[in-house]
Formats: sequence, structure tokens, C-alpha cells
Amino acid sequence: MKADILVLCAAGMLVSAYLMVGQRALFTTIRLYGLQSLLLAVVAATIAISEARPELWVTAGVTVALKTILIPWFLMRVIDRIGIHREIEPFLSVPASLLVCVGLTVVGYRVSTGFPEGAGGVSHHLIGVALSLLLVGLFLMVTRKKAITQILALLTVENAVFLVAVGVTSGMPLIVELGISFDVILAVLILGILVRRIVDRFESMDVSRLSTLKG
Amino acid sequence: MNLLVVTLAAPLITAAIGGLGGPRQFKETVMIGGLAITFGLCLATAGRFLGGGVPAAFGDALRVDGLSALVLVLCGFVGLLSGTYGVGYLRRNEERRLVTKRMRREFFGLIPAYVFAMLLVSVSNNLGILWVAVELTTLASVSLVTFHDRDTSLEAAWKFLVLGSLGLAFALLGTVLLFAAGQGRLGEGMAALNWTRFMQVAPQLHPLTVRLGVVFALIGYGTKAGLAPMHTWKPDAYREAPSPAVALMAVGMLNGALYCILRIHLISKAAIGPEFSGGLLLTLGLLSVLVAVPFVLIQWNLKRLLAYSSIEHVGIMAIGVGLGAEAGVFGALLHMTYHSFAKPVALFSAGTLAQLHSSSDLGRIQNGTFTRTPVASALLVLSALIITGSPPFGMFFSEMTILRAGLIGSHATATGVFLAALSVLFCGFVFQVGRIVLGPPRDPSDRRQPLPERFDFGMGTVIAAALLAVVSSFYLPGPLMALIRAATAVVWGDV
Repeated sequence: MKADILVLCAAGMLVSAYLMVGQRALFTTIRLYGLQSLLLAVVAATIAISEARPELWVTAGVTVALKTILIPWFLMRVIDRIGIHREIEPFLSVPASLLVCVGLTVVGYRVSTGFPEGAGGVSHHLIGVALSLLLVGLFLMVTRKKAITQILALLTVENAVFLVAVGVTSGMPLIVELGISFDVILAVLILGILVRRIVDRFESMDVSRLSTLKG
Repeated sequence: MNLLVVTLAAPLITAAIGGLGGPRQFKETVMIGGLAITFGLCLATAGRFLGGGVPAAFGDALRVDGLSALVLVLCGFVGLLSGTYGVGYLRRNEERRLVTKRMRREFFGLIPAYVFAMLLVSVSNNLGILWVAVELTTLASVSLVTFHDRDTSLEAAWKFLVLGSLGLAFALLGTVLLFAAGQGRLGEGMAALNWTRFMQVAPQLHPLTVRLGVVFALIGYGTKAGLAPMHTWKPDAYREAPSPAVALMAVGMLNGALYCILRIHLISKAAIGPEFSGGLLLTLGLLSVLVAVPFVLIQWNLKRLLAYSSIEHVGIMAIGVGLGAEAGVFGALLHMTYHSFAKPVALFSAGTLAQLHSSSDLGRIQNGTFTRTPVASALLVLSALIITGSPPFGMFFSEMTILRAGLIGSHATATGVFLAALSVLFCGFVFQVGRIVLGPPRDPSDRRQPLPERFDFGMGTVIAAALLAVVSSFYLPGPLMALIRAATAVVWGDV
């Protein structure tokens, strides 16, 4: 039962990343990120119950508060202010991107087979999903041009790292985790401010135009 | 009160006061005074370590061993130097009415905050705290990159932050994987992430997980150090950030990131032997030195030129450690020390030239600066000689130590490539700096003449820093040498 929930949620996270790759409306992409974070919180909560680790409840709570509510709200506000709602044509078409992502998932699963078993026998799946999520996030980062999508790709990579932390080690020490969350939110804030300044200046948030500095 | 906590609190308080309002004179006094006190406290902490103590706080989450003490002292030193030069730098811009209220607040707030984050990196014994501290350095410095608010600064800041955050996500994954490799043997709570705990249980760590963790952590912290191929943010950030902040990046951040790399390297060495991470460091180091070669030769901007020099030097240090010989490690740490003395001089004199010419682009500075601005030009030549490792200056000896370690060990090919790259880099630097300083003087009818040189506060700091760099080349004080040896013992021996 518990293992089913874990695998289901982790798989859901990967699916949401796939949907992000196939999506062009920025609002939907942000909502998908929120959903992905919610599933991460469910994973944390499930492990908190099954292994009686109360500190993981804090992780789950912080994840919901920051990553499913605060960060998506903030990013949507940024988009609203600047009035750009759609991703432009990515460097790679959607079907080709999805095909690449399938390949990346295979790679992620292949690497995960070498790991020792951790929490409750499902950690193999969790690592497989987490590494795939990491690779898909990186792929999203290099193929998209909009600044907001790049932030979301960065956050997806961050979620993948947290999935490893929660699923394999049953959570990092609490203070460290709080410090990390604080830093992530600060980084997103600064990135958001930068995006607005870039849009004000260049009247676009197409980061492929940021290419004056070379050599 | 715990000495270590006080040492960290000093720059933080300075940042808090500097970030608030207040008359300019007051802020300047607070910044220089606060950073001087910080440096004094760093020396006191290192002194206590040399006296046989192990300063620690928060249940060993912060702990000073030989390596920490060396990096701490160097960071405190460059913090004071940058703060002092920064005051002169800002004054010069104030006179030309280039400084807004926002700039003043950011400058006096963020420079001490950056110093705080670097000091926190250098004393972290806990891998989690270490990560948080490195992220803090990134966040503190990004607003310094956008300081001048040009189109290009936004571009540089975006690349800096996105690449830096991505690198740090990798470093975090590396940390998590190393923690996972412990499979519960590291224990519970905060102390489970302590580096000392890792070293105790290192032989029992799960080998494959360690390998993967080390790769991710080295790539992640290597991004912050600017090792190739993760170096691309460096030239942009160096060009855009004001010179005092660049000195903090080029010395403080570089040393701090190298500190992280060494800690990870040591865990890897204790768990799965020295070849794995040593080989990685050697490869990344060689790549960094080689990458710098073409870009130095074709460079169009003075501060970007120094960024590639900084990529070269972090490469040299990585090679020294990666060679896997005690002499190499000693050479690398000695190189780090000399670099910390010399690099600020190069950046400050380049910054002074850039201020006088209103740009650091070589096209704007043009040739023949020696006739117009002789002091800044002479200092640039001197610092260029030092940082390219010309005899009789210190970096020549540290580079020789590393080369000898490479030749005695079984790394003849790598050492040969390294030596060849060093020679070309030397020629490239002499060519570029010679072109700027000595070339035919600028046409007197040119409207864009530089401002006249004056002996103000900033210039005084550069001259003082240059004197220190020259003196340190010939004479390192006994306690500093003892720190370098203690740091070598940490990295080489099984402490």
C-alpha cells in the first residue's frame, strides 16, 4: 500500500515534468510545477507515516507552503506584470523533445540499478524517477528560451534532488533542509526580479537574446 | 563568547549597519573598521588553532582545522583589502555623480555580507551548512554583478545566477548522495552531515554511491570555483561587477569553492582511494589551464583577461591537488596563498585604469596608457608579472613545486601539457599587457582622453596591496607558513 503510493507519486512527478516539456502556455507550466511539488510533499508525508519520522512532516509542510503555493503564486504574478503568456518555439519540436526525454528516463533508470536498497525497498524506483527528473529538468533548461521556463527547469532539478533526499535517505537533517529551502526561495525571488528587469530593458524575456558577451 | 561565532558576527553586523541609511562618512568608517576587526578576529582564530586549540561551534558544525584556518585568514585579508579599496572606488564614482542611493546601500551592505558568507564557507565542517553558505555567497554577489545596471550586467547576472544555481543543485545532489552512501552509519540529526563524521566512517561508505556523489559535488562546487568547462559565467561577471567585488570573487570565492572541493576530495580519497577524485581534479584542472589559452590571446577586455587568468590559477591549484603527491598539495596551497596576495593588485590596478577610461574594454583604454596614467600602468605590469608566475616572485616557486611534483610522480604527459600551456599563457599576458601599457600613445586630438591620475584613497590602497604582494613573494611570515603546512597535513595526511 505504502509502496504503491510512493511509486505512484514519484511517477506522477515524472509525468508532470513530461507535460511541462510538451506545454507552451506558461501558466499551465507553472501549475504543473505546483502539482509536481505537491506530489513530492505526499511522498514525504507517506514516508513520515510509514517510518515514523515526524521531522518529515515539516519537510512536507514546507514543500507545500513554498513550492506549491508561494513560488507558483510569485511566478504567476511576475508573468502577469510583464504580460507574456506563451513560450515561443523551442529549439526542438515537442515530439522530438518527448522522444529525447524517454531516452533520458531510460538512462536515469539504468544508473539507479547500482544503488543499495534504502527506505522500504522502493528506493530503487524513487532514484530512477529522481535521476530521470533531473535529466528532464536539465533538458528543459537547455532547449527553452523564456527566462521563466528556465527558472521552472531549475526548480524541477531542485525537486529531483529533494526526491532523492526524501526517498533514499529518509530526509536530510532538519536544520539543513530548512536552510536549503530558505536559499531556494531567495534564489527564486532574485531570479524573478532579474526577469522583470530583463523584460523592462529588452522588452522580451527571450534569454537567447542575451548574447552580447562573448570571448 | 565563542571566538568563532564572534568572528562570523563581525562582518554580518557591518553588513547590517552598512545596508541601512546613514551619512557616507559613517558608512565608510563602519565598513573599513568592521572588516579590519573581522580580519583581526580571523587572525585570532587562526592563532588559537596554531596554539593547539580547535575552535568549534554549534556541535562541531563549524570547526577550524588547518585547511579552514588558512582559507579563513586569506578570506579575511582579501575582505579588508576589498573593503578599503572599495571605499576609494566608490568615492571616485561619487565625484563623477555616478552613484545612486541604491548603489550606496547595496555596496556597503553586500560587500560585508559577501565576506560573511565566504568566512562561513571556510569554517563549515558540516556539508549541509557548507552548501547553504556557498549559496549565500552566490546570492550576495549577484546584486554586485548588476551593480552598474547596464544591459550587459543583466546578461552577466542572469548567466551567473542560473549557472550558479544549477551548479549548486548538482552540489546538493552530491551531498545527498554522499549522505545516502552512509546507509544510516552516519547517525541522526545535524551531526550526521559533519565532514569529520564522514571521515570516520569513510571505509564503510557504499562505493558506487560515493562515486556518483563525488562527481556531482565536484561539478557543482567546480562551477563556483570556475573550473572549465563550467567557467563560462566568470568572464562576464568579472567584466560587469565593480573591481572590489571582483577581488572578493577572484580570491575569496575561489578559495572557498576550492575548500569545498578539497573536503569532497578528502571524503572520496578516504572512501575509495585517491585515484578517482584525484584524476577528476587533474583533468578539470588541465582543461581549465588549456581553455584559458586561446581566450587570453584574443581578449578584448581587461577584466575578462583577468577572469581567464583566474580560471588558469584555479586550474593550477586543482592540478596540484590532483597529482596525488604531497609536494603537489603543498604547491597548490602555497599557490593559493600567493594568488590571494597578487590577484587583488591586478584587479585593483585594472579597475583604476577602467575607471579613468570609463571602460575596461581594450578598445576604449587603447594603447600607451603609460604616458597618461603611469602609476596604474606600472602597477598593472608589476601584478601581471607576479600572476603569470615570473621569477623572482612567489608564484614562480609554487608553480615550480607543482611541476616538480608532477615530474617525480607518474604524470609526465600531463605535466608537459601543463608546462606548455603555462608558457603560452605567459606570452599571451605579456603581449596583452604590453600592448595596453607600452603601445604608441593616444592621438592628443582624441576627445576621449582619460581622467588624470590622482593619489587618492583608492590609489593608496592599490600601492599598499602591491607592496604586500611583493614582500609576500620573498617573505611569508612564520605563522602563515605554519598554516600552509597545517593545511597540507589536512589534505595529505589522514587527519
